[in-house]
Amino acid sequence: MFETIFIGLSVGSILLLVALGLTITYGTMGVINMAHGELVMVGAYTAVMVRIHFDLNIFYAIPAAFLMAALIGLIIERLVVRNLYGRLLDTLLATWGVGILVQQAVRLEFGLTFFDVHIEGLGVGLQRVDVPDILRETIQVGDIVIQPYRTFIIFLTVALVVLTWVLLYRTPFGTQVRAIMRNPDIAAACGIDVKRVNALTFAYGSGLAGVAGVMISGFKTVSPSMGTPMVVDGFMVVVVGGVGSLLGSVVSAGFLGQLNGIFATLSNDILARAIVFGAVILIIAWRPSGLFNFRGR
Amino acid sequence: MKKLTRRDFVKKSAIAGGAIASPYFFSSSIALAAAELEVGVLFSLTGGLSIIEKSLSDATLMAIAEINAKGGVLGKQIKPILEDGASDAKTYNEKANKLVIQDRVPTVFGSYTSASRKAVLPVFEKRKNLYFYPTYYEGFECSKNVVYTGAVPNQQLSNYIPWIIKNLNKKKFFIVGSNYIYPREMAKVCKILVEQAGAEWVADEYLELGHSEWGAMVKKIKDSGCDAVLSNVVGDSVVAFYREFGNQGLKHDKLPICATVTSEIEIAAMGAQYASGSFTSFPYFQAIDTDANQSFVERYRKFVNDPKAVTHHALESSYFQVFLWAQAVEKAGEATPAAIREAVKGQEFDAPNGHVKIEPENLHVWLTPRIAQWDSMGQGVIIDEYPAPIIPLPYVAYGETASNLFCKEGGLDTSKL
Amino acid sequence: MSTKKKLEFLAYAIFIVITFMMPLFLDIFWLNRIAKYLVFGMLGVAISLSWGYAGILNLGQGLFFGAGAYMLAASLKLASPTSLQQGSDTPVPDFMLWNAEPGSLTDLCCITKVSFLWIPFQAQWFGIFMGLVLPVVLAFILGNIIFRQRISGVFVAIITLATVLLFRLLMIDFQPLTNGFNGLTDLGWFTLAGFEFDPYTVQTYYLVAASLAVVLVATRWLVSTRAGLVLQSIRDDANRTRYLGFDVSSYQIFFFCVSALIAGFAGMLYVIAAEFASPTFMDLTFSITMVVWAAVGGRSSLLGACIGAILINVIEATVSETELFVEAWQAIIGLLFVLVVLFLPRGLAGLANDITDRLLGGAKKSQQDAPSGE
Repeated sequence: MFETIFIGLSVGSILLLVALGLTITYGTMGVINMAHGELVMVGAYTAVMVRIHFDLNIFYAIPAAFLMAALIGLIIERLVVRNLYGRLLDTLLATWGVGILVQQAVRLEFGLTFFDVHIEGLGVGLQRVDVPDILRETIQVGDIVIQPYRTFIIFLTVALVVLTWVLLYRTPFGTQVRAIMRNPDIAAACGIDVKRVNALTFAYGSGLAGVAGVMISGFKTVSPSMGTPMVVDGFMVVVVGGVGSLLGSVVSAGFLGQLNGIFATLSNDILARAIVFGAVILIIAWRPSGLFNFRGR
Repeated sequence: MKKLTRRDFVKKSAIAGGAIASPYFFSSSIALAAAELEVGVLFSLTGGLSIIEKSLSDATLMAIAEINAKGGVLGKQIKPILEDGASDAKTYNEKANKLVIQDRVPTVFGSYTSASRKAVLPVFEKRKNLYFYPTYYEGFECSKNVVYTGAVPNQQLSNYIPWIIKNLNKKKFFIVGSNYIYPREMAKVCKILVEQAGAEWVADEYLELGHSEWGAMVKKIKDSGCDAVLSNVVGDSVVAFYREFGNQGLKHDKLPICATVTSEIEIAAMGAQYASGSFTSFPYFQAIDTDANQSFVERYRKFVNDPKAVTHHALESSYFQVFLWAQAVEKAGEATPAAIREAVKGQEFDAPNGHVKIEPENLHVWLTPRIAQWDSMGQGVIIDEYPAPIIPLPYVAYGETASNLFCKEGGLDTSKL
Repeated sequence: MSTKKKLEFLAYAIFIVITFMMPLFLDIFWLNRIAKYLVFGMLGVAISLSWGYAGILNLGQGLFFGAGAYMLAASLKLASPTSLQQGSDTPVPDFMLWNAEPGSLTDLCCITKVSFLWIPFQAQWFGIFMGLVLPVVLAFILGNIIFRQRISGVFVAIITLATVLLFRLLMIDFQPLTNGFNGLTDLGWFTLAGFEFDPYTVQTYYLVAASLAVVLVATRWLVSTRAGLVLQSIRDDANRTRYLGFDVSSYQIFFFCVSALIAGFAGMLYVIAAEFASPTFMDLTFSITMVVWAAVGGRSSLLGACIGAILINVIEATVSETELFVEAWQAIIGLLFVLVVLFLPRGLAGLANDITDRLLGGAKKSQQDAPSGE
């Protein structure tokens, strides 16, 4: 019983980890970033490169991936998203195209494959990230087997959620972000540098995706196309939770995760996934603005 | 100076023009048709499956290069026309049509997944062309337009299941696979073999292709009371599976994963420590300790310019099938699909894995079944090996035996099904 | 008719004439390829109707495409020589043999638990009928869920996305019924009035080209009716239209269903030209790619979206055949998408529109053009 719940919790925490960055970018800026999955992938590849070229384990990769993904997010924001504010559905398409570009960049090793130069850790192949030994051995507590890696992910997710909450609700920067969320024009009139705040917010959300990528690489294969399915899951969580609501994303990730976990254990994973899709459809049909409606944009 | 008459001018410029154009003339496609023989090479070079299929494409190209270095076939150099299936059945179908109808190649080498093979099969059957399919698959096919050079279930399982029961002393199997035809058919054969040997199977579960959340499934494995896991999981799900297996505290010495698909590529991607102690059944492993194989691995690594490249079963089949084809073309004396197909029956070759032969009745290949246990370095230690290749039986799940073939030269005998 | 309208009419006419003239220039392989791209053009029209005119961003159009495709493919599968040679009274698709319940009769009624659902498909017209009806029924149900609740914008996108993925999952899982991941291959040829449509003949090409022409003209007429105008006002401001007394959700549902009908029809034509149906028709990437075709071509222009779809696929096919670019074509396409969305928001049709505006404006400085309804 405990193990079933734990699996659900774990699935939910991974969903939340991916969706957290999306919650920020979508909730605060109304930007649909279809390249979010690719940013997760960038985080995973950062972990790969850190292992191969610097011989450091994933704990070091976490800040590196955050910075790497945040940087790419910043570039995306500057070049693409900034020009599309207000055009919600167009950002969806444009970022989808950007996602393809990022994927191909990794696949083609930034074009170097054409010159027969190979950077180890990039390219079309599968890559590997090793989980540090302290997290690998299971811990036996009575009847229950605790998996340290998944537990670590849960704690990290909680920590990041708390960090994000603090950032949004307890810092001046966060106040600015929330002001822009309510009404960007009045916020600008009050002297907030909307462009700068938006850029940093987007970067922060992207950075979170990078961290998610590092954690996921510990038990999924790292490949250039690993990101695409994640953006679907991420969006379902965000939209079901209610646009821009941190609490909503937490609740919806937890709920969908448990749903998946329970059905996967009771019957099979395929049915579980189908039920999750069905639940998403029903929830949005029942409460069109999501579970926790945030009066945002 | 003599006046330049018009005739002179025309003559001289014609000669000059001919001289300038002659290199182009020799490299034009009209001239090519006489000096080169085109073949199609159709694998996914982009998309999720490119991870594996690119290596199959490279092996094919390497074989072609080696044959060309020795003079080609019928005095001509082989020119591969490389097409990208993009890991998508629709694209595979389109490119196959292009190769057969537009480029008019006499043979195409290609496909990894059964889905892509099924998508292109109608093209080769309707247009009476020839497809060389190098990947192990589920059997149950008897096309006269395909030469199948990968293992069929009896070459992977008929040795494996009895060996697991006898040598590892396992009695309860948990069968798990990806949700499509290959794992499902393999599971059928597994169940028959398990029951025949007097053991039992406790579960037959499937996960979506590409699915990587294995928490619930591994828990089921733990709770089922099985003592061996028969894995027909395909693709990058394999990595997540083995990792979760290890992460939940299961060990291969007590509860081994016995796989039919996990190869050197997946092991490299998951980290050797997760697979260490588990088993896989293939006719070919990179660790085969013969001069021929070691030379093959070295040549492959040089060809793809990657000293860490790994070779695996489908890759080796992609390689040797080209040689079988070339021999058939030489024997037929002409490069037409019908002639090649007739001439390829019974062709034999010394491949890196050993001696192979094309069974004339069903156009599949005689292969030597092997079982390997993975060590902590990601290499397979071969612990069981048949002394000689065995006949391919694509319909073994339905009772086919060597003396009672379902798929024969005349076609499939449906009354036996 | 204003000059703009005349030019538009001319554009449609020229396009249709060009498609009919293709057999003069292309070999049979390319003709079949173009036939498939014309089908994609039809999908572009469906997306343009739904998105450009109705403002509904459907990220799951693959669902309707796949539904139409599978229905006809079922009928064609039962008509294939392999199915007919199984030695039973009814044709039995080969994949049902290896999915058979142990000890069952080799007959369509009973070979698997659900095979009886295939029985009506022995008549080809049933396959065609279902290929048109099933997408509409699905769209009607989905539309009622979405539009009666006044769900709009990105939420519609997410629901359609989740729906297509759900159906894809189910299609792959119900192997005894649908052959799962491999899809339906080895189909018989489509027959009409005794004539068999070999995909690699000129007749099949004309079938597709004629269908596209009919769909284009019919849809263009549809959006110029009063209903079409109401639809556009819904797209521009749904609330205002509501206040004006129109039943907004009924219009949305209606056009959503029409768009699904077109997509289903396209699915059937694709099966005729490509000879198979597969769950990959319901891949997320394919559905989103359709939207991108429409975006590049011009979402608010039926002809534009159609041409956009065809053009992109032709470029893709040509680029991926040059050896040098075999590995890089996806990056090029990705870049193209981004650039078009950034700099050409109304797509190529918008560009053409602007150019004609400039030319006309220069030529007729003094004349006032009547407002046209594009």
